[in-house]
Amino acid sequence: MVLKVFFPTCCTSAESGLLVGRWVPEQSSAVVLAVVHFPFIPIQVKELLARVQQAGRVGLAVLGTWCHCRLQEPEEGLGRFLEGLGAIFTHEPWLQLCRERGGSVWSCKALGWPMSPGAPSPAPVMLIFYDQRHVLLSQLHTPATLPDPQAGDAPPSVGGLAAVFDTVARSELLFRSDRFHEGPVQLSHWQSEGIEASILVELAKQASGPTCLMLSFLLSLLSAVGACRLFRLWPLPFICSKLSTCEQARHRLGHLTFLFSPRKAESPVQLMRKVNVFFSLLLDVALGLALLAWLRAENCIGQLADALVPVADCVAEELQHLLQWLMGAPAGLKMNRALDQVLGRFFLYHIHLWISYIHLMSPFVEGILWHVGLSACLGLTVALSLLSDIIALLTFHIYCFYVYGARLYCLKIHGLSSLWRLFRGKKWNVLRQRVDSCSYDLDQLFIGTLLFTILVFLLPTIALYYLVFTLLRLLVVAVQGSLHLLIDLINSLPLYSVGLRLCRPYRLAAGVKFRVLDHEAGKPLRLLMQINPLSYSRVVCTYRLPSCGCRPRLSWSALCRKLFFGELIYPWRQKAGKQD
Amino acid sequence: MEDERVFSDICGGRLALQRRHYSPSCREFCLSCPRLSLRSLTAVTCSVWLAAYALFTLFENSVILSAAIFITLLGLLGYLHFVKIDQETLLIIDSLGIQLTSSYASGKESTTFIEMGKVKDIIINEAIYMQKVIYYLCILLKDPLEPHGISQVVPVFQNAKPRLDCLIEVYRSCQEILAHRKATSTSP
Amino acid sequence: MACRTEAEPSRRPLDALACTSTEECPTAPTGSHSVCMVSDFFYPNMGGVESHIYQLSQCLIERGHKVIIITHAYGNRKGVRYLTNGLKVYYLPLKVMYNQSTATTLFHSLPLLRYIFVRERISIIHAHSSFSAMAHDALFHGKTMGLQTVFTDHSLFGFADVSSVLTNKLLTVSLCDTNHIICVSYTSKENTVLRAALNPEIVSVIPNAVDPTDFTPDPRQRKKDMVTIVVISRLVYRKGTDLLCGIIPELCLKYPDLNFIIGGEGPKRIILEEVRERYQLHDRVRLLGALEHKDVRNVLVQGHIFLNTSLTEAFCMAIVEAASCGLQVVSTRVGGIPEVLPESLIILCEPSVKSLCQGLEKAIAQLKSGELPTPEKIHGVVKTFYTWRNVAERTEKVYDRVIGEAVLSIDQRLDRLMSHCGSVTGCIFALLAVFNILFLIFLRWITPDSLIDVAVDASGPLSSWPLPQCSPRDKMNPHSNEDSET
Repeated sequence: MVLKVFFPTCCTSAESGLLVGRWVPEQSSAVVLAVVHFPFIPIQVKELLARVQQAGRVGLAVLGTWCHCRLQEPEEGLGRFLEGLGAIFTHEPWLQLCRERGGSVWSCKALGWPMSPGAPSPAPVMLIFYDQRHVLLSQLHTPATLPDPQAGDAPPSVGGLAAVFDTVARSELLFRSDRFHEGPVQLSHWQSEGIEASILVELAKQASGPTCLMLSFLLSLLSAVGACRLFRLWPLPFICSKLSTCEQARHRLGHLTFLFSPRKAESPVQLMRKVNVFFSLLLDVALGLALLAWLRAENCIGQLADALVPVADCVAEELQHLLQWLMGAPAGLKMNRALDQVLGRFFLYHIHLWISYIHLMSPFVEGILWHVGLSACLGLTVALSLLSDIIALLTFHIYCFYVYGARLYCLKIHGLSSLWRLFRGKKWNVLRQRVDSCSYDLDQLFIGTLLFTILVFLLPTIALYYLVFTLLRLLVVAVQGSLHLLIDLINSLPLYSVGLRLCRPYRLAAGVKFRVLDHEAGKPLRLLMQINPLSYSRVVCTYRLPSCGCRPRLSWSALCRKLFFGELIYPWRQKAGKQD
Repeated sequence: MEDERVFSDICGGRLALQRRHYSPSCREFCLSCPRLSLRSLTAVTCSVWLAAYALFTLFENSVILSAAIFITLLGLLGYLHFVKIDQETLLIIDSLGIQLTSSYASGKESTTFIEMGKVKDIIINEAIYMQKVIYYLCILLKDPLEPHGISQVVPVFQNAKPRLDCLIEVYRSCQEILAHRKATSTSP
Repeated sequence: MACRTEAEPSRRPLDALACTSTEECPTAPTGSHSVCMVSDFFYPNMGGVESHIYQLSQCLIERGHKVIIITHAYGNRKGVRYLTNGLKVYYLPLKVMYNQSTATTLFHSLPLLRYIFVRERISIIHAHSSFSAMAHDALFHGKTMGLQTVFTDHSLFGFADVSSVLTNKLLTVSLCDTNHIICVSYTSKENTVLRAALNPEIVSVIPNAVDPTDFTPDPRQRKKDMVTIVVISRLVYRKGTDLLCGIIPELCLKYPDLNFIIGGEGPKRIILEEVRERYQLHDRVRLLGALEHKDVRNVLVQGHIFLNTSLTEAFCMAIVEAASCGLQVVSTRVGGIPEVLPESLIILCEPSVKSLCQGLEKAIAQLKSGELPTPEKIHGVVKTFYTWRNVAERTEKVYDRVIGEAVLSIDQRLDRLMSHCGSVTGCIFALLAVFNILFLIFLRWITPDSLIDVAVDASGPLSSWPLPQCSPRDKMNPHSNEDSET
């Protein structure tokens, strides 16, 4: 098997010394973490390694020697000295890595490899350079085969390249000491920069604890108020479950409690989620404030209130026309006159009721709208869901029409289908959920046929009413649906993760990629290992926040089926509740 | 060590296969399609603009013309960035893994690296594609739960779709490396 | 990939190494054919046609021919699969219309079929079953491409109702330029010749067969104190499920020690369930549902009497299988059934409830009096009747004859269509044939034959498939492949 040496790019220009790292026997790879410079005292090196080992639970060792020959210095003595070091730090295999002639030529020897004595010539060695900083900071996203996202905090027995990532992440302590630190052992490895800014970070860390405590106390108070008995009285929970504003407010409250919970985030995934929630809240409120400012500046609310009542009137007027048209001979269809008149009058009366209701409301509209506008400072999503609720309330008559039409139509379709079965001498067996054959009496057959005929002839009239009102209803549902889509988008967009992917692509790693560096015959193969960033679609998929609505998603075919059989389409939850 | 040979894809187009042998344990195969030809680009642009001009004479609305320009530009950008793949590379490194890279005409590269531990084998398989039955090279991945099972089939050179002779060439080389892996992994 | 399917053990990766340079592949030695079996019906669908195609293909492969099978996709099973001994099956992604038969537009299947015929270097197209639209399409396209065609008819048809008139017309068109037709019984031959207005000279009779080693008797499985009647068929109208519904209550009333075991699935299952519920026969009538082919024998050996209620049948494999398991067979006297078994092994009745009941009562009486021969004896007799090797040998003779015939040129073909199929239909189909030829020319222009990779043979004289004695796992290993190549 080929021996692989993972070597950090930041150490390529380091002085000669010892290689410190971890040996992964299953992969037959050596992960070099740092270079120890001369002079050192062997016992201190061993102490340092033991300390890091204890902190990170990772088996570190001195893997070999590193020789960096600048220019054409004859370094015969050094070479022999380095060979001698192998006797002090025993390790199998013992690596001898050498960079010669101004850095263009690399050579690597592995003593005591391959392990089995019977093997022929020394096995080939492969040098793989990696960027220590990127590997340390990146979070490896294992491919989608692992369903559990919590698998990110790798268990000790990780295979393959994950082992390299794991090793680097666990020996973080080794990188703490910086360049100017006067320690007993001089190391060369990646150095973090920006010590100054970390004061601010420390301050923020100190302050965050009490802030979180206070805010979470306030939030718990709020939720305690929400949970009090008064709100458990009958109509309130029902209304709350129907209003999308309440849903959205509850959702946001959940976000806030999650954000300010005093517990520390355990895994990087959870931490990322917290930050994402924070940014999504921030964006939401910022957008809401912008909307509020715009509304105030343009005096839109007044205009809106003035326009609302005429618009509602106008809609009612149009509906009346539509009904009148239906009561005549719509599109030249000849309908059952009596039924047509009854239905038309019924709906007309409804519209009349509705108009008087709107006129009763008209003095208060501006005040209501004004308060709705204020709610935008809680976030754009709240304002949008309020808007959706208002639309729902203003088009309540359309909803009613739809429900009446659908119920009638549904009744008709079911009646027709069961009479059709009777016609063929079959019946629906409820116990076994299947169609059985059955012999009917003559009377039964006669009555059934009679009813079937009546239903068939009345079907077109009802179907037309149903069709028209369903189309109206679908229009309203489409408007509301697009509003909800917008809300969901703001609610669930992982802003921070996307930003991180944009600015620091290496932080979210999907894997690695290799590039072959120029190769000379007889020398070890050199590869450059780079982080392969996660694609945007996967970032969004992985870190998407759960959206608030638990609305079941209907497929198009299911929707069409429901429409055809006259089942109610939009407030599905209502139906589920009835079945319970 | 590098050489280049010319093959054809299943529709008769020209494909160039570059083979680079970096070392006995590391080989690279690079299939490049012909670049976007000026002729087809001109043809498509002209046809879109002519259609837009015809609509313009019909409706006398200049928005159509500007829309046509935008559509052409955006379409070209989208085509170069998301659709047109110029080069597909298979890099196989013994005991490390297999890397598949496809470079788009705009310079975007998408890379997948499969660790050798997950690779079960590389094979040539047959599939029904559109109205054709074609051969394709694919990598079989091991199922982590079941040692002899296959969890996934990763097709290689999915865009170029070379013919069988080219696939056999690549297949042989890959099998040499895989055979080496098997020989060493069983000997100790 | 449009149709990449999940890999599974049955799908064997191809050893490309075995065929080094496809251009230099020598042509197959004379006497060996490249046969393509086309039918809508193949495994995993179960039935007589399916097992006929499979067994025939296996025996032909054994005799050194190259055989591939083309059928339509079954659920998730699409793409290319390999079965035992390198039998290659193409599951084409075509839409299924009715009763597992694909929709026919006469044209949409041409690109794929042509691609396969070219890449597999097919010389003979062997289509099966007149219910299969794909088989007719393949005959039509095969003639367009100038290949030899053979057709096997597995079923009987009426002449009276509208649907059979239409189907018979289509069959006439489809078979008018087919080189040879094979029927499974003399009744079937008569029927086909009349329906398709054929020259009887080009129609051969090759009966079906069963694998006698799969259907061995095992009397220990029978219940001693009971009489068990086994019915195994699809539960559809053609198989006479309605007759069965009449028989069950009548006989169960008469004989308290009578049991029924019914295997199979179909739309008529519900009426059987109703009968069972109405007469409270849950403990005496067992409905097993769909059976796998390997389970059929285990069901058969549990019974004493096998009942077949088919209303029409060209060659009933089920009764041969049952007789091979040593059961007394009671069957309706329809179609080719009287030819299948000698009088001593079968009780024939008219297709009515009364007659079938009488037949069954006779069988029960014989059983109780011990007049029936032992199962081993019946097996010994039946074993020699029908074997697949024999079928394959006779089919091979048909191929040998067909391969020597001249392919009709285009104008001859059009002439034949117009003269043979009536003026209106003939003209329409001649026009369609012209369109088909134009379409083929267009396809040849889009993808010339030279661009189609010749497939690596998995069966036949140039087979790369490992010999049967090697275990397949060895051959998966690329090492051994390289060895075998050098």
